[in-house]
Amino acid sequence: MSAVIETRGLTKRFGNFTAVDDLSIAVEPGSIFAFLGANGSGKSTTIRMLIGVLRPTSGTITVDGVDVIRHPRRVRDRIGYMGQRVSLYQGLSIRENVEFYAGLYGLEGDALERRWGGLRERLALGDAEGERPENLPAGIRQRAGLALATLHEPRVLFLDEPTAGVDVESRGLFWDRIAEEAERGVTVFVTTHFLEEVEYCDWVCFIEAGKLIADAAPEALRERHSGGYRIHLAVGGEACERAARRLREAGLAPRPTGDGLELDTTTLDARVLALLGELVPPDAVHIEQPPMTDVFRRLLAREAA
Amino acid sequence: MDAKGDPIIEIRGLRKRFGHRTALAGVDLRVTKRQIVAVTGPDGAGKTTLLRTLAGLLEIEAEVATVLGYDLRGDVTELKAHTGYVPQTFALQRDLSILDNLRFTARLHRIPADELRRRADALLARTGLAPFADRMTSALSGGMKQKLAIANALLPAPALLVLDEPTAGVDVMARSEIWSILAESRRTAAVVVSTSYLDEAEQADRLVYLDEGRVVADGVPAVLRRESPRELYRAWTDDARHVARAARGLAFAAAVRASGRFVRVEVERAPDRDRATVTRAIAAIPGVLLVEPLPPDMESTLRHLASAA
Repeated sequence: MSAVIETRGLTKRFGNFTAVDDLSIAVEPGSIFAFLGANGSGKSTTIRMLIGVLRPTSGTITVDGVDVIRHPRRVRDRIGYMGQRVSLYQGLSIRENVEFYAGLYGLEGDALERRWGGLRERLALGDAEGERPENLPAGIRQRAGLALATLHEPRVLFLDEPTAGVDVESRGLFWDRIAEEAERGVTVFVTTHFLEEVEYCDWVCFIEAGKLIADAAPEALRERHSGGYRIHLAVGGEACERAARRLREAGLAPRPTGDGLELDTTTLDARVLALLGELVPPDAVHIEQPPMTDVFRRLLAREAA
Repeated sequence: MDAKGDPIIEIRGLRKRFGHRTALAGVDLRVTKRQIVAVTGPDGAGKTTLLRTLAGLLEIEAEVATVLGYDLRGDVTELKAHTGYVPQTFALQRDLSILDNLRFTARLHRIPADELRRRADALLARTGLAPFADRMTSALSGGMKQKLAIANALLPAPALLVLDEPTAGVDVMARSEIWSILAESRRTAAVVVSTSYLDEAEQADRLVYLDEGRVVADGVPAVLRRESPRELYRAWTDDARHVARAARGLAFAAAVRASGRFVRVEVERAPDRDRATVTRAIAAIPGVLLVEPLPPDMESTLRHLASAA
């Protein structure tokens, strides 16, 4: 399948300062794509170019088949955007905000009622409909922001730190909705500083000083930039010897510990998992997964060196 | 305890209303040691109101309300002089350099010039901002602005440091630098910090969970986690989204999330259901390769608190 978002050699200079440097990315349709980087790494500049509000110095951008540099306005009808500051008008109720945004997209009457009815239900906004955004907690404001960004059924969603400052429960609900959008074929381009959220994505790009330093599936990054998985098996006696033999036959290197076996592996594929399940009961396995935070620390340290 | 043996924070029955809205509905909080107290909870739980109260910025009602020995219901001028407060929105002068912002604060607190130089040097070194001392504040990245806000709050050598979500929207490197600064500040000050990051809630000395203006849980994070009645399972699979959809159909699943190689399934503990039964039910979902029962983690603990409240 061809990419739904694609940049080639994308570069943006402000005077002598290069904010984005020769960036080439490709985003598959219907995927959740995490775009990460430290504060000041060029993330926001890139997003502003992708949605057609900032003109690049050089390079090309295509979003949903539209040449964004030539037709910056045309792309805006096809995308949904939600920024760190959710764009809800204060003083207007959520319902009035919806009507205002629907008007911009020419959505009205029954079509609007159907669309908003569905979103209100899925995003649990029924109770908040008549409230003004300034009186609502951040989690609900953010779900309302997502409703507005998806009102016109865009095929591509850009979410810039949508979960910053939002509590754990609301973050969970929000990500459930994002996964649903992706399952419906919507492509989601998202930035975040919650690194556990990277695990919910299909692909991750990491930029540092405007340059791409990682571009892979999260699991592939973990394989390349971490100490790998450590697996503990609580098993004794004959069963322990049998397990050790089977693991060695599978090419793994188990070590005996006080209460069983321990082994390290960079990949945790179906074969290894099935073998573990076969060797010991579930409560006798413990898998330590290297957190994404460590993966990114290593990536950044490598870049600095 | 401070030199006189009084608690640093002693609050009982704290209430605060804004018009018709009750922000705090009877909060008790006692802090006797210089430690990092993390405050977390749902949006709108009253975290910011509690923090602003501790910094002496609000008029409140309470049975007891002393901070650093000063009564919050009386004159709080002295309290403010001994408290460093970092609000949620950046409140420093954008058109001044880093160093000029510190000079400005020093003047407000009547810190003599040689003392300012000594403290500013130390704080700039500690926050890693020394190479940028002459840079305009408006040109700083989000993480640097937050470090400057903290340096600024620490400049008058406060005995209490109160920070409202100092790491929201801050990248992972800057976050860990900010937490190192907080850990070091603990030598001279008690630190109260609100956060919605799970790893930060985990690494605090003490965690206070607020909901609807009340303290719902208060303790050492590892202990709160251990005592949580919510069980956690990981189902390892090659198709996490598909397995997650199936797991949501299990009657006992309280929360389900696809997370890369595995699906997290949270289950409320119940007497009529042991871990083996739950494990078997999850293992029966097509595509599940291995089910791993786990002790509760910070995420499941906080979700339990959110659902129980």
